[in-house]
Amino acid sequence: MQKFFSNKKFIIFMIIIIVTFGLLAVSVNVRDNDETPSFVQQIGNDTYSLVGGVFAYPVNAAKNVNSQFASFYNTYTENQRLKSRIDELDKNKADLKTVQDENSKLKKELKLDATLTDYDIQTASVVTRSPNNWQNYLTINRGSTSGLKKNMPVMSGNGLIGRIVEVNKISSKVELISTNNEVSDKFAVEIQGTDAIDGVISKYDSSTGKLVMENVQSTDGIKKGQRVVTSGLGGRTPKGLYVGKVYGIKKDNYGMTNSVYITPSADLRDFTVVTVIKSKVSGD
Amino acid sequence: MEIRRRKISFQVIFLFITFFLDGIIKWSFFDNINKGTFFVVPQLMLMALTMLCLRMDDTRLIIIYGVIFGLSYDFYYSGLIGIYTVLIPVILYGIDHYKYLFASSDFIYEISVYFIVLVVLQTFVYLLERLFQQTTTDFLDYVTFTLGPTLLFNIVMFFILYVIMARICDWLVKYRRESR
Repeated sequence: MQKFFSNKKFIIFMIIIIVTFGLLAVSVNVRDNDETPSFVQQIGNDTYSLVGGVFAYPVNAAKNVNSQFASFYNTYTENQRLKSRIDELDKNKADLKTVQDENSKLKKELKLDATLTDYDIQTASVVTRSPNNWQNYLTINRGSTSGLKKNMPVMSGNGLIGRIVEVNKISSKVELISTNNEVSDKFAVEIQGTDAIDGVISKYDSSTGKLVMENVQSTDGIKKGQRVVTSGLGGRTPKGLYVGKVYGIKKDNYGMTNSVYITPSADLRDFTVVTVIKSKVSGD
Repeated sequence: MEIRRRKISFQVIFLFITFFLDGIIKWSFFDNINKGTFFVVPQLMLMALTMLCLRMDDTRLIIIYGVIFGLSYDFYYSGLIGIYTVLIPVILYGIDHYKYLFASSDFIYEISVYFIVLVVLQTFVYLLERLFQQTTTDFLDYVTFTLGPTLLFNIVMFFILYVIMARICDWLVKYRRESR
């Protein structure tokens, strides 16, 4: 025993292992607390994100120019396609306005303050992306001073891209929907149709680039191309945020559970600005 | 003393630039979230640290760098404290410990050290993340889709940047004897 403790390198090695596992276990477990990250970490992260913003500025500018260039290139074909849609859009817009007005009037009549479909938005620009492969995080330049909280959903352009997992004073981290993290929270979604089918986005299939929706009770009537939106169940996400379109259905080897594959609608490549959704109904 | 202090502050600035470049490179070139199956982890900071470590005599300083930049990496990029914070100093200590075995310092020798360091770091990061249920990727997928592309990208970057980085690192470490 004496000999063991006199071996200095062995003790250092042991301490390193204990420290690694201790730190990791603690930081994984306190992740979802409202108090985390600690004050020191917040200050550090905010400072880094300020400096990182300086680096991100030219990159985001270049990205924007690039996507503008790409869209310029496609303008002609896109224009043809869009012209055919434009009449339909005007009609839809008018319909939507009427329905929204009616809805708000009815809500007033019923004395409803806010329902699952009400939310505010906050835009933020992306500062950086975690180079580490196993944490699919984006850092954005808004934090608790802008009213952001953990678990708020984040959209980009036309679709859902993830949720906020860490809030500092003036920066936050967004976990992308394409994560393979087992312990992170999942999105409750539904397939829009004659009767809505509920499920949970449980994982991301990186080989096909599709989201996988599980816990689906029946696959009757699910068709390719149907829209998938958040269902608002669980109370943390507003109802009706667009996720993507149904790509196909796959049964597992025993025929017990059904997985619905979804093509994500957000183009997760060419964006520099994201929108954080602040639900007006507090869930928990 | 004055020059030494100035060199240290330049080293820190240099390391910080590579630290931010890691994230920026990932954000601008490898953000293939719904397209493509290959995942690349840019590790410019590790490259800078390795090359500095091979040139510096001060073991304590290099370990301090490892702890500070490892901790920054965990704070800023992953939010899980303990992976880079521990692995980077340990790896730098390892390089420092065995570098006397190689008398000459040339390109081939530096690239092989960097290669080994990359494999060790990425594999340990993967194993820890897997252990703490941060990912469901299995080992073969990790080797094929993450380790391979990561090694390829970083080695190519090493080829491209070697001359510049070596010049910078030489300049950052070297100073006149009498002014020490």
